[in-house]
Amino acid sequence: MPDTGAGQNALTDRRLIEVFLIHEATLLDERRFEEWRDLFDEDGYYWVPLRPDQASPDGEASLFYDDKAIMKTRFERLRHPRVHSQTPPHRTCHVVGNIAIDEVDLARAECTVKSTMIMADYRLKVQRVFAGRVRHRLRRRADAFRIAWKRVDLVNCDDTFELIAVPF
Amino acid sequence: MNLGDTAEIRSLMRPDRVHRSVYLDPKIFELEMRNVFGRAWVYVGHESLVPRPGDYVTARIGSQPVVLSRHTDGRIYVFYNSCSHRGAVVCNEEKGSTKLFRCPYHGWTYATNGDLDAVSMPRGYGESFDLKDPALGLGRVARVSVYRGFVFASQAQSGPDLEAWLGPARESIDEMCDRAPEGEVDLGGGVHKYLFRGNWKLQLENVIDMYHVPFSHESTIGAGGRQFGRRPGESAGSAISDRGAAAAKWEQRTAWGARDFGHSYAGHQPVAEQIPDDPVFKAYVAALEARHGRERTLEILRPRRHNTAFFPNMTLQALNHHVRVIIPVAVDRTEIRVYPVKLKGAPEELNRGFVRQLNITHSAASLIQTDDLECFRRCQEGIEAQGSEWVWFARGIDTDRPDERGDLVNNGTVETQQRAQHAAWVRLMCAAG
Repeated sequence: MPDTGAGQNALTDRRLIEVFLIHEATLLDERRFEEWRDLFDEDGYYWVPLRPDQASPDGEASLFYDDKAIMKTRFERLRHPRVHSQTPPHRTCHVVGNIAIDEVDLARAECTVKSTMIMADYRLKVQRVFAGRVRHRLRRRADAFRIAWKRVDLVNCDDTFELIAVPF
Repeated sequence: MNLGDTAEIRSLMRPDRVHRSVYLDPKIFELEMRNVFGRAWVYVGHESLVPRPGDYVTARIGSQPVVLSRHTDGRIYVFYNSCSHRGAVVCNEEKGSTKLFRCPYHGWTYATNGDLDAVSMPRGYGESFDLKDPALGLGRVARVSVYRGFVFASQAQSGPDLEAWLGPARESIDEMCDRAPEGEVDLGGGVHKYLFRGNWKLQLENVIDMYHVPFSHESTIGAGGRQFGRRPGESAGSAISDRGAAAAKWEQRTAWGARDFGHSYAGHQPVAEQIPDDPVFKAYVAALEARHGRERTLEILRPRRHNTAFFPNMTLQALNHHVRVIIPVAVDRTEIRVYPVKLKGAPEELNRGFVRQLNITHSAASLIQTDDLECFRRCQEGIEAQGSEWVWFARGIDTDRPDERGDLVNNGTVETQQRAQHAAWVRLMCAAG
């Protein structure tokens, strides 16, 4: 059930949302992938399109299009002792900025948040920098945010990539 | 090394081993661009990427930038992406639709079949300069041929025609297309693009390699040796590993390699395909039966070929439907394009499932292909070592047997397919002319 009072206020509280987004990014940088997955609602998904303005992940290739089941398989693999592409692992550093609350639906206790992200990753003498515009659909449940969906539009979404392991 | 001497080139590829310089030497790479990619039928794209007149995609034939375009006459043309005047690329986009290609530098324009359309300020040229000369059009690649929507081009003026070149490997394209109720596939579902710091042959040798799977992809194999499910609704995938070795039934897979032009495939596991018990798949089967009847439908659904490698630059996978294109960039740098394959006439939901699954297995952030890319990178780095002059492809060499056509057949986790690739490589690298 959508909650009321303080919960609804949280949907318009930019500081609370910023704390949440920074926490989310920190989980990825600290490779606490299972905790990152737990931030998503049960029907939540994470989507990184391969084309600017890609309308839908249905019927068109995406860099990431993970529901919670796929995330589980993905992160179990990243924990495997013989995941060669992460031996050694990528180190990452996310920076979250330009946070703006875009749309609030108080009846559903949801909001859409726009932000930008920069992620540097490093592995075996190669450092890369990714940048993208991010949209989160957040739901306020009890006293916490849950991610309904997160979409990352990389500025170089249609680039030719070397292997990628850590979500943006 | 004198690369003009064919005996020297032959000495680099022995039946059971390849000299490491074949992966390392930039001069060999240059010769490959001329003699392999300059002579072979090279896959350049698919008709479904350019459905309407004016639609185009850009591609490469080895080092050569080309445009694949559908002209107003409805036919496919492949021409070099280089203005006849000063050489600038006339088409900057990966795909699009246009009436004319216009060079940005001095404004020369070309029709969608590559013919010269107009020269800006033509009076600046003297009378000796014939603007009607066909040689002023964008250079056409010597030969273009289409097989069931798959467009191939050859830069050689003469040689075997496409069907002869493809030989029995054609049947892999047939199998894929026949799985579509309308008999055609659609590659318009986007593209995964990645690069690795390694030689292009590392990818070609890998796709039909059934030996690497339990090891390279160990991180995808769960309890009981089964991989995660690869099809919509599947909770677990194939049995891959049995106590650290390849599962026994993998040894029954067919391995096939064409001795002449180097195509090859790895057969499917010899197990009956279980027709999934879900309404979407049932609707798909019904669509196939409406066209082909029950018996032929069951034959179409029976998997025979898992991965097929069309020498030198295209592969087809039947498990996670896709077409993979290998683009050599430099001796130690390769780009890959992976196109989801949709089956025309199949339920949209089924095709969405294929596309979605391919994200998981073959995007640059995927769970499967990333470990292959890591192995290619490590091969390139490791082959630099002088510890051994040779890279070995001896697995199963004593049990290779000829089929009725004289191609090589074997079973299981052998390197028969790579031996066929290497034989074709030698033939093209050493061919006269």
